[in-house]
Amino acid sequence: MDPELIKDCVHCGFCLPTCPTYVLWGEEMDSPRGRIHLMAQYNEGAEMTPEMAGHFDACLGCMACVTACPSGVQYDKLIEHTRPVVEREHARTPRDRAVRALVFALFPYPRRLRLIKPFTRLNRRLAPFLDRVHPTLGALAELTPPRSRSRPLPPLVRARGPLRARVGLLTGCVQGAFFPDVNRATARVLALEGCDVVIPPGQGCCGALSLHSGYDAHRFARRTIETFEKAGVDTVVVNAAGCGSSMKDYADVLADDPGWQRRAECLKVRDLAEFLVELGPVAVRHPLPVTVAYHDACHLAHAQGVRSQPRELLDQIPELKVREIAESAICCGSAGTYNLFQPQPARELGERKAGRVEDTGADLLVSANPGCTMQITAAMRRMGRPVMPVAHTAQVLDASLRGLGAVR
Amino acid sequence: MTVFDRLDALFPPDRVITDPVRLRTYECDGLTYHRATPMVVVLPETTEEIAAVVRVCAEFGVPFVARGSGTGLSGGALPRSDGVLIVTSRMRRILSIDLDQRRAVVEPGVTNLAITEAVRDRGYYYAPDPSSQQICSIGGNVAENSGGAHCLKYGFTVNHVLALEIVTPEGEIIEISEDDFGYDLLGAFVGSEGTLGIATKITVRLMRAPESVTTLLAAFQTIEAGGQAVSAIIGAGIMPAAIEMMDALAIEAAEAAVACGYPAAAGAVLIVELDGPSSEVEAQLAEVIAICVGTGSFEQRVAASADERAKIWKGRKSAFAAVGRISPAYIVQDGVVPRTSLGEVLAGIDALQDEFGIRVANVFHAGDGNLHPLVLFDDTAPGEGERAEIVSGRILDLCILHGGSITGEHGVGVDKARYMPRMFTDDDLDTMQLLRCAFDPGGRSNPGKVFPTPRLCGEVPRVHKGSPGEIF
Amino acid sequence: MLGHTGVMIRDGGPLDAVGGVTPRWVAQPESVEEIAVVMGACADGGLAVTPAGGRTKLGWAAPPERVDVLLDLSSMHDVLEHVAGDLVVRVQAGIPVTRLAEVLAKAGQALALDVPFPDATIGGTLAAPSPGPRAFRYGNARDLLIGVTVVLADGTIARAGGKVVKNVAGYDLGKLFTGSYGTLGVIAEATFRLHPIPADRRWLSFECEGWEDAGDLLRSQLEPSAVEIDHPAEGLSTVAALFEGPAAEQRALAARELFEGGDVHTEAPAWWGQPPGSPLHSLRCRVAPSVPDGISVRGSLATGVYLASGSTDLDAWRSALPDHARLVGLSGDLTGDRWGPIPSLPLMRRVKERFDPERRMSPGRLAGGL
Ligand SMILES: Cc1cc2nc3c(=O)[nH]c(=O)nc-3n(C[C@H](O)[C@H](O)[C@H](O)COP(=O)(O)OP(=O)(O)OC[C@H]3O[C@@H](n4cnc5c(N)ncnc54)[C@H](O)[C@@H]3O)c2cc1C
Ligand code: SF4
Ligand code: SF4
Repeated sequence: MDPELIKDCVHCGFCLPTCPTYVLWGEEMDSPRGRIHLMAQYNEGAEMTPEMAGHFDACLGCMACVTACPSGVQYDKLIEHTRPVVEREHARTPRDRAVRALVFALFPYPRRLRLIKPFTRLNRRLAPFLDRVHPTLGALAELTPPRSRSRPLPPLVRARGPLRARVGLLTGCVQGAFFPDVNRATARVLALEGCDVVIPPGQGCCGALSLHSGYDAHRFARRTIETFEKAGVDTVVVNAAGCGSSMKDYADVLADDPGWQRRAECLKVRDLAEFLVELGPVAVRHPLPVTVAYHDACHLAHAQGVRSQPRELLDQIPELKVREIAESAICCGSAGTYNLFQPQPARELGERKAGRVEDTGADLLVSANPGCTMQITAAMRRMGRPVMPVAHTAQVLDASLRGLGAVR
Repeated sequence: MTVFDRLDALFPPDRVITDPVRLRTYECDGLTYHRATPMVVVLPETTEEIAAVVRVCAEFGVPFVARGSGTGLSGGALPRSDGVLIVTSRMRRILSIDLDQRRAVVEPGVTNLAITEAVRDRGYYYAPDPSSQQICSIGGNVAENSGGAHCLKYGFTVNHVLALEIVTPEGEIIEISEDDFGYDLLGAFVGSEGTLGIATKITVRLMRAPESVTTLLAAFQTIEAGGQAVSAIIGAGIMPAAIEMMDALAIEAAEAAVACGYPAAAGAVLIVELDGPSSEVEAQLAEVIAICVGTGSFEQRVAASADERAKIWKGRKSAFAAVGRISPAYIVQDGVVPRTSLGEVLAGIDALQDEFGIRVANVFHAGDGNLHPLVLFDDTAPGEGERAEIVSGRILDLCILHGGSITGEHGVGVDKARYMPRMFTDDDLDTMQLLRCAFDPGGRSNPGKVFPTPRLCGEVPRVHKGSPGEIF
Repeated sequence: MLGHTGVMIRDGGPLDAVGGVTPRWVAQPESVEEIAVVMGACADGGLAVTPAGGRTKLGWAAPPERVDVLLDLSSMHDVLEHVAGDLVVRVQAGIPVTRLAEVLAKAGQALALDVPFPDATIGGTLAAPSPGPRAFRYGNARDLLIGVTVVLADGTIARAGGKVVKNVAGYDLGKLFTGSYGTLGVIAEATFRLHPIPADRRWLSFECEGWEDAGDLLRSQLEPSAVEIDHPAEGLSTVAALFEGPAAEQRALAARELFEGGDVHTEAPAWWGQPPGSPLHSLRCRVAPSVPDGISVRGSLATGVYLASGSTDLDAWRSALPDHARLVGLSGDLTGDRWGPIPSLPLMRRVKERFDPERRMSPGRLAGGL
């Protein structure tokens, strides 16, 4: 916890209203300003008590506070440095430890995730029971999405029309396992916009889940860099917000190894929407008569500052209307593994967000993060509300570019 | 029975904070220079709960301090290590909105901006707009009589609060309203910095949004030229909604923080906002531009859209916090001078910068002479903090010398109590404290703030029934 | 003469009566210090004091229990400081409002208060405020007051506020003293924020049946400075709205369109801002009030603050009004309770006890014997 970074905070409180935990509980210690204060206390010699650890654990890592802060406090770095300290110094209960181990043994590995997929229907029915065993297990079961066919993507998708760029595509673990359609749509959109899309087989987790939870992410980072270097691309397009934000941080993660740090800096990482706006549209947009509510995924809007681009892309689609969701800056409670480890606040935030989404009266919920859409639809289901159809920005673009007239 | 036992009986465990690490996160407000760890923090959710806590305090003779969002810049919400900190951040319900009567009733923890957001769609807004509006609580605004850029035309919190429900320091729940025939207790309570009790329900005036709003950014070579433009605009009988000024250093900070894109070579920028019926605004805009050009403005930009307007304001609104980007540490000063003395006072501040080798960035509500000099220093450089502190104090002296005030909107709090005797006589302060004694004879409500020395209230003097003597 | 102090003293007569109570002496101080000397002497002698200005409202509110000395401030009638560039003026409390207006008008400025009594002084207007049409736009006396000098019952001179528009240092004693009817102390000097005299003014007026007709105007964005109703005891009501600014005419015409009628004038209607008669009552009601027969009402549809006149049983009228409404008998003969409910009275009482523990400042003029 770098005292210099802590000192940047002038205690103005501007970050408070966008912090989801402050919105829920209205307590200083569960606000960004309060957490930074706790970090300062730790630096001054305060112990990492269970209370202190609890407030760090309750942080979603949504980075809304980074966007809100006029003083440029790098809370993202601060919390990333804090998480490992919590893991090191805070003794969790054996039950908590076991559950955390399970999640980290499962999520960063696409193949293991695919293995549990056939059971997901069963999982959902088991949810209440699992909830009693450990809330995290209940949350895990509730969130697993319905099964979908998965056909592997080819290692190379050729550009349609004149070649404008050559890019790599990160398939992501959760995305790849649970939402293969999104990756397919992404590849098609890129190809239709004139890109050769390289999809290195056997790519693993980018390390996002570990990084955001204080586990060591070096190994994942190095492997991902290596994979794309071997694929011969210098730009990697990422369609999952969480993955994109952590890949953009690789140079920091690997800062203790100058060689690797340089390699990380050479790899250009772009979110899909960011990339497409930079590239500029050439493919014809066909009309899509639909009203969409666009949800800002925290790891896109706050961590990567990508807010206008997805809206711009959606706005380009004829007949499509974009509705803003109230409190758009506030996290839906998904935030990586948050809904697994802090199920109660995650649920409350999910329900709050689901209500705001419903208020828009849109037909379709669009977001760039599978975690968010899983979270929001789970909340709608739990509240006994009709579940709004969801789509990734890529799928909406894909439908328009291909002239399908409807999403999916 | 201890205070703790009583509070435990009143609140569920998650709303009484006693853990030392947690308590310390409440040790200061926006003025981090003063710190004290509260004895206990409570998070009430209703007026009755606040009244109950205050009565417990009365019973045990324990002081209490109210806290909203903790953004105060005078240490007003500085806790007492022997007292209870009563935090209103969970009382954030908007209780009613009545657009026909143009008023809303809200709980004290509701943020200033939340009120406007609740009625904006229907064409109304809450006028006072402190720069901290997205987070500061309306209870805090009431306590500080907060102002904002648009107070030039529309007035301050006190002009927009119509009634209050308060918990007195004795623990009674009493309603005070502008409708009460007799003393204007409402006017006296607003701005009393939490020393007369806790506001638990606030009735605020809602205003109809103006038909047209135009924001002009005018750039000047020097801050003096900008100042002349301000005087000329007011002199011409124009009452803009806001006139704000920033000097070169403040512009640099805002640029670094939010890339607001103000004209690069400007020694000062003036933001003039005109609002009202379109016909009025158009007529006035032409005149204001002419005045700016006439006083030497080399570039004028008129915001054409809401987005452009927001961008012009963004630089101004984030200026305080943004200074953190160009200086390791800084003091936000808040002083007022008569508008006609602006030039002299700014020259005086310049002289102080040279004398002490300390940089000062100026951001101010130029329309009403409210200066916010930001005194920059490096807290790791030996002696710089002390020098900055001296400069900051000297600026207040300048304000007093020119017939101004030591605070225009941030309040006296704990920070400026010691300057009060420079502005007021002992008699003035003693008389003010009579009011304090009327509300809080036990001196338990936010003691140590506003006044340099507390007045012992004693018993209410007995009525003197002597027969009138023949003295004339 | 009061010994060596040089303060003018004379015997009181029936013309000096406060609500029917004749003072034994009348003192005419010419400075804050002289007020302090008189007050100190009165403290020594346990004399009850009532301050007076233009004496336009000495009959308002309840008669004091006793008056030994009428403190006549009419000799304190100077403008102490007027800095046009700052839009601020500091005056002695005894200056007539009309005189102040003349001085300010020379600089194209005005104190934006509507005071219908030509002799009324600034001090009286603060101590016994009456509502005016433009309060909707500019606020009441308390909103324009930025600094005050008061003299307490024991002769202490205290200042609060200052001469800058924006100032939050210390308690706002000025506001505390507005509405105090001389029961807390003497208002000796006051400082106000001013406004430029608007480039142009127009009044739109139209006759109407009810109270609701101005709603559209208030919901519009035409920014009227005042919206008043004149509801006579018999016959149709008139609603009038004031527009100020270079485009006043345009806006008045636009407002006329809103109502499909009405006349636009360059002068105010004759009844504008005038009290409707006597006895006089103060009515605050945010919705259309029920008005008993024979009562006329004038006031602001925008702020819900009215003056009413005519004989009526105040208790009966009060019970026909909504709960939030307040009806207070200001002047003249009345039947029923003069004050009605005042929820903050317990606090006012404590304030009185601290500022005037011996109850020598106009005792009993306000509710609850304040
Ligand atoms: C970056 C920044 C910009 C700012 N800009 C402005 C500005 O433009 N204009 C301006 O006026 N101020 C400004 N401020 C100062 C501050 O935001 C205001 O004073 C605000 O009103 C404080 O509100 P709060 O909820 O944070 O109150 P707190 O800081 O929590 O408390 C302030 C005072 O109010 C008392 N209090 C709180 N709640 C209650 C209650 N319910 N009843 C009674 N007393 C209570 C406290 O005891 C304390 O004395 C700024 C502050 C910051 C950090
Ligand atoms: S990252 Fe999100 S949850 Fe964590 S402190 Fe910042 S805003 Fe709050
Ligand atoms: S907005 Fe930034 S500087 Fe202000 S309290 Fe939050 S982190 Fe600190």
